[in-house]
Amino acid sequence: MSNSLQRFTTSGLLSDRKVTQLMGFTVLTFVVFSYFSSDIFFSRENFQSMAYQVPEVAILSIAVMLSMLTGGIDLSIVGISNAAALMAAYIMTQNMTDEGKISNTWILIACLLGISLGLACGVINAVLISILNVTPILATLATMTLFNGIAIGITNGESISSLPEQFVRIGNGTFFGIPTPFVLMIMIAIVVGFIINRTSLGLKVFLIGTNRKAAQYSVMGDRKVIAWTYILSGFLSSLAGLIIASRTSAASPDFGNSYILLAIVIVVLGGVNPMGGFGTVTGVILATIVLQMVASGFNALRFSQFLYLAAQGGVLVLVMMLNVVLERIRVSKSINKSLGS
Amino acid sequence: MKINFKKLLSRNETVLIFAIVIFAFVIGSKSPEFFTLANLFDILRSSFVQLLFALGVLIVIISGGIDVSFPIVGIFAGYTAVVIMQKFELNGESLLIPIVLAIVIGVLLGGFNAIAIAGFGIPTLIATLGTAGVFRGVMLSFVGASFISDIPIALDKFSTADLIKFESEAGTLVRLHVLVIPIAVITVLISLMLSRTFFGRSIYALGGGVESTRRLGISVKRTQTKIYMLVGGLSGLAGILYVSLQRKANPYDLAGSELDVIAAVVLGGASIMGGYGTVFGTVLGVLFINMIKNNLVLLGVSSSWQRAAVGVLLVIGITIQAISENRKNRQRRSATETEGE
Repeated sequence: MSNSLQRFTTSGLLSDRKVTQLMGFTVLTFVVFSYFSSDIFFSRENFQSMAYQVPEVAILSIAVMLSMLTGGIDLSIVGISNAAALMAAYIMTQNMTDEGKISNTWILIACLLGISLGLACGVINAVLISILNVTPILATLATMTLFNGIAIGITNGESISSLPEQFVRIGNGTFFGIPTPFVLMIMIAIVVGFIINRTSLGLKVFLIGTNRKAAQYSVMGDRKVIAWTYILSGFLSSLAGLIIASRTSAASPDFGNSYILLAIVIVVLGGVNPMGGFGTVTGVILATIVLQMVASGFNALRFSQFLYLAAQGGVLVLVMMLNVVLERIRVSKSINKSLGS
Repeated sequence: MKINFKKLLSRNETVLIFAIVIFAFVIGSKSPEFFTLANLFDILRSSFVQLLFALGVLIVIISGGIDVSFPIVGIFAGYTAVVIMQKFELNGESLLIPIVLAIVIGVLLGGFNAIAIAGFGIPTLIATLGTAGVFRGVMLSFVGASFISDIPIALDKFSTADLIKFESEAGTLVRLHVLVIPIAVITVLISLMLSRTFFGRSIYALGGGVESTRRLGISVKRTQTKIYMLVGGLSGLAGILYVSLQRKANPYDLAGSELDVIAAVVLGGASIMGGYGTVFGTVLGVLFINMIKNNLVLLGVSSSWQRAAVGVLLVIGITIQAISENRKNRQRRSATETEGE
């Protein structure tokens, strides 16, 4: 098997190629579905609805990517986003007048409290993983149950609907003709991209993901870096939760359970190495768009939603298999080359 | 003598037994219903299916992997077996046919996991997340998505096959299901397999370190293939027993129950990093979780907070484990340091 150094250099060299491949894949998916469903898929309404659905999934996927870059994983994203959305929704509905009127200040307070809850959840994950040394999978599996349980407990398992009009307008409105959630997603992508590519924190994230031991020996404060990724992941998840609540005008403790699988599929398809050390925000956004097109396309072609579920799982396994096969070919080629010379 | 006693105290199983006893007394002091044979048998009955799943999860976790596809494999096998029985009008009086069918289907599905994990070396969490999506999607779109209430007669009858059945003085019906014997036999067999057979020891070796296992001359791929097929078979059996005990085949059931089972195994002391875990601990873990779930209402915890309670327990369980693990590592490090001097 190739060692970490080799993995780092090969994936580093291939970084651009991976995004290019994905762009080709995006165009291909687009053409295929437009061809087979020219009336429904290739329509203005469909593109618009896709632009409203992509952001929440993309933001959750970016959250998963952050934890995966250090070689961990965050399974509690959906639990956090639902808890944050419920918190905000609860405060809003409590402070609404009977006619459904509410001041903008209360909406702001509700959103801020929702986000702080997300941050608090992120801190719990961070404490478990970086201070107590619990394996990320296990820690976030447990906190996922915990956050979900708290959300169910607060609302008795029921959802909160008919949120105030001003709040709903954010998620369904446009900003210079572009859906507001989409604009938010682009902003988040740029900020996260800046953090992981241009700051020392980002560099440390990649170094820890590539080789934790080496990172420890170089005394870069690996625990602190890992803690930050989970706090950031909690923050992003709560934002995604607020966007979902705003778009659907409801918050529910069991909303979007399938998003965990979807987010991991997207992250892996987007070229992030699940063992850590490599990944790009561009790749993740492109992968989200591909999967959204597949979902809308399946919908337009009247395939069942369960077939889409199977397709998600299939894509995940196949992409991983393809990566392994390509890696093996590359290794054997480089061995042959060095033997030949 | 003193050292042995200390070792015994620090064992996970001992801690769990203490926890079970304390909880039993707390619940029992609040409501005398707890200390009845009927309640004990109820806890046992609700543990059967979970225990079978948990044994499978234990094997995977000992080998250093994690499996989240087993509930889907279980319900896929159980549901499909019932559908096949009905479609081909197989003898509904036979109990053996559906059970064998379900086990075969489970082994086949486990084979797919084995291909992804042993054949391609995909990280186990990602592989099983993907296959779980595929299995669920395939079952719901091709096998069927509707609830079957008229399951084969033998399976239906089996749900009330009681070993002991009498009316207690209080007038409640006390029933012990006949399944307690086969489940006990399977549990003992798996325990013997893990501790006494070459295959069992290679599972522990694999969890201790993949490379060292390979150097020992054990085929990693063959061991992994066997593990995932065995776990598939166990899940299939659990699935059909679940269908029988519920007296209905609902393809939407079981999905999402993976966390509780993983929680039970981890609370039972299995190390998520692999290489350590006992059947006895797992049995205690399953009983503990079921005791709490069945009796939280008696404790005054409303049903909507149950999930949060399980989450809290999980977080506490993994924290205790992590702390003791950290302490062990520190001791080991200081021991080697003094040796060096």
